[in-house]
Amino acid sequence: MLRRLIALLLVVPSAATAFELPVVERTLPNGMHVLLHEDHSAPVVSSYIFFRSGSRNETWGGTGIAHLFEHMMFNGGKKFGPGVFDDMIEGNGGSTNGFTMRDCTAYLNNFPLEALPIVLDLESDRMAHLALTPKNLEQERGIVMEERRLRIDNQVSGLMNEALYLHAFERSPYRWNTLGFMEDLKRITLAEARAYFHTYYAPNNATIVLAGDLQPGPTFALVERYFGKIPRRPPPPPVDDADPSQEGERRVIVKKNAELPAVLIGYHGVAVRDPDRPALDVLERVLSGGESARLHEDLVRAHEVATAVEANNSWGIDPDLFWFYAQARPGKTEAALEARIDAVMAAVAAKPVPDVELRKAKNQLRAELVRGLKTVSGKANQLGYFDAVFGDYRALFGLEAAWEAVTADDLRRVAARYLVSEKRTVVVLVPVPSGRPLGEGPPKGGATS
Amino acid sequence: MRTALALVLGLAGAAGAADELRLPPITRATLDNGLRVQVVEYHELPLVEVQLMVGAGAAQDPKGKDGLAALTADALRRGAGKLSADEVARAVEFLGGRIDATAGTDGTVVSAEFLSKDFRAGLDLLRQVLLEPTFARDEIRRARDEQAAGLVAALEDTSAVAEKCFAGFLYGAHPYGRPVDGRRATVPRLERGDVRDFYERWYRPNATLLVLVGDVDAQSALAALREAFGTWRPRADALAERTPTPAPLTARKLLLVDKADATQTQIRFGNVAIPRNHPDYIRAQVANTILGGGFTSKLIEELRIKRSLTYAAWSTFAARLTGGDFRLGTFTKSPTTAETLALALEVEGDFRRHPPERAALDKAKTYLRGQFPLKLESPDALAGRLAEIQFYGLPDDELTTYRTRVAAVSAADALEVAERLMPSPDAVAIVVVGKAAEIRDQLTAKFGPFEAIAAEACESLSERR
Repeated sequence: MLRRLIALLLVVPSAATAFELPVVERTLPNGMHVLLHEDHSAPVVSSYIFFRSGSRNETWGGTGIAHLFEHMMFNGGKKFGPGVFDDMIEGNGGSTNGFTMRDCTAYLNNFPLEALPIVLDLESDRMAHLALTPKNLEQERGIVMEERRLRIDNQVSGLMNEALYLHAFERSPYRWNTLGFMEDLKRITLAEARAYFHTYYAPNNATIVLAGDLQPGPTFALVERYFGKIPRRPPPPPVDDADPSQEGERRVIVKKNAELPAVLIGYHGVAVRDPDRPALDVLERVLSGGESARLHEDLVRAHEVATAVEANNSWGIDPDLFWFYAQARPGKTEAALEARIDAVMAAVAAKPVPDVELRKAKNQLRAELVRGLKTVSGKANQLGYFDAVFGDYRALFGLEAAWEAVTADDLRRVAARYLVSEKRTVVVLVPVPSGRPLGEGPPKGGATS
Repeated sequence: MRTALALVLGLAGAAGAADELRLPPITRATLDNGLRVQVVEYHELPLVEVQLMVGAGAAQDPKGKDGLAALTADALRRGAGKLSADEVARAVEFLGGRIDATAGTDGTVVSAEFLSKDFRAGLDLLRQVLLEPTFARDEIRRARDEQAAGLVAALEDTSAVAEKCFAGFLYGAHPYGRPVDGRRATVPRLERGDVRDFYERWYRPNATLLVLVGDVDAQSALAALREAFGTWRPRADALAERTPTPAPLTARKLLLVDKADATQTQIRFGNVAIPRNHPDYIRAQVANTILGGGFTSKLIEELRIKRSLTYAAWSTFAARLTGGDFRLGTFTKSPTTAETLALALEVEGDFRRHPPERAALDKAKTYLRGQFPLKLESPDALAGRLAEIQFYGLPDDELTTYRTRVAAVSAADALEVAERLMPSPDAVAIVVVGKAAEIRDQLTAKFGPFEAIAAEACESLSERR
């Protein structure tokens, strides 16, 4: 059924009818949302539990707790003690992981069908009774700080990204990234972790998706058995997200040991459910959909100023950023990158994008959608993400029709409305030479072995 | 309603045979010009994946022309047949497809993915890219400049620096130590003629294999492949001479690579081990899973869970055509660099001296068997596995018997391969990338004297031994 429906859509380029994955949808009396997708293409089942809570639900001074908490979730509940979760999953042929985003946090397992009851037992035990112990907190605090050093402090692009969001937003919790600030990570208390758990890890704030080699009837009975008794809790407080309107460009300099200058430019965009989001998606692909996209053709091929260039319309429950990133060739400057990006943008605003280019962008978006569904894990992830962030998994099936409806006029309109210099933040990486060259002369530690 | 792939991958019948996997039918053919072809029907999604493995890579880079295999692969798409570079990119991207070409050390992978409705058009683009590359002078210059810039940009990625330095430090002048993207001293000097010569010599059907997995009829796909690639001319001397087997280190050596403002140190160590077609490969994989695979390995237990020294720690057998290595990796904050390295060496050393606990062995085997179907689930994954089997000369039943062979590994087997194939901590090449001013003294205190270099000097490690 799946194959036929997608094929239908894909063979007719202009078809506005959406494809659908067959989904059995239920809501438990305690408010937990359940999505089941039967797919026997491989002898595996994938489970994703999405909590509608991420770094967006944190507060200034308490950043990083959503992600730190995700780590703590692997360290035992009431029925299963510390260290048991990973052991039981892998010992039953499964693999497990979790990830935290600004808008939500997800826990996933990919496993053979036989392990389904064990997986649900483990997942429901930690959702109902996570062991919030000092040992659990201290262990994960150190690990998460190491993760921050890896992804932000010692990675130039991570630092630039952190700087961009911090300066582009003033009130929105999108200001900080999911890893949080080091100083906040150092001081998060067990009481705060406990409060976070009780506020956000409630069944009525979660969606479970099970996809793959399963039968919906018996699977739903299992879900009900394991999760049905977890009590509903009061809904989490609303997020106070409104950012004041930006009046004028902001510029930020990052100095760091690096080889090449780079620039990251963020414009205030829209929320995922905004009617202008599909047009910004298509614009992103016109600008940055491969080697024939406008930015690559201009910055890499025509002017040879960049090693890499990219545009991204970031999706969020709240308005996120539409950003551009470019890294300079050796000998080229940040100013040259910025000038060329501006020129490419000016061209979009000045002349309608030709039909063939619009068609190419839409074809790429569609092909990417199909690629995301190659595995049952990919399907479960997509269904859960759309349910958590768009508020309805069916939004996944509506993506394509919305892209198809975008016109060249729409692209000009959204470019003129959102991508304006008064509403942008520019982060410039100024590389600092890495000090005296080593390898010449004997190092202090002793002679060469 | 089970579909084709489900039958293929599903458990075959009775419980006793539960470990047997059945593959979908593979249509095999060798064209008159020597091109070896495998075609598999896959009907879950309307996609077609084609993967070609050309039997030459950086190991065939002529002396002083490091990076030529990579440049040649990159140049294929930059103009082909009657199409300019821009036209090739536009044509591929208009279809929402992709064509990639990436050189490795032993071979070069050229792959394409298109929607099945575009199969003919996509195949024609792939044919032109592979058989009729233009290699226009200006496009070669662009590709070369981009590759040279990429070498500079890569110095910013500490993890990539650690991997590159480790290969050079361990293998030295052996081709497996050679940076595939070349060196800053060699890439700017590569010319159009070099690319032309490399292509003419090595891109030949008799040294290439092709796998197609997709939503197509196998017979008509095979006919289309014959039509596309039948005229490709073979060349007797296109078959690469095998790279010599690398020799293992017999003593420990340590290299410190300075990253002046780092707050975290990347650590790698290992020694020469086995090629991919080694009869002990599966046993080695089971043993390695206990030590450094998944989320419950010894390394994760000791470095991450017990001491919070790191976010990740892993080990692997990087097995290639004529040899390979065992390598272990992790990272930690600067102040705990020496402690983490010493502990990782100790965990590895202990592991190869003691038989694994029953529970750890069973868990590793169940994990590998349970996860195996996921490695064949998508068309590109399946194509990759089938290409791998042929390229490394593995038995035809490699995939179907994998789970049975994993199940058969005993604790004694695991200990025996660990002891024989994992290195003694006294005979490893160790690479540490971090802030020298902060970590030099700790390292000296624990490990004695060592060599220190700058990150950009790593590329010349492969010139010496």
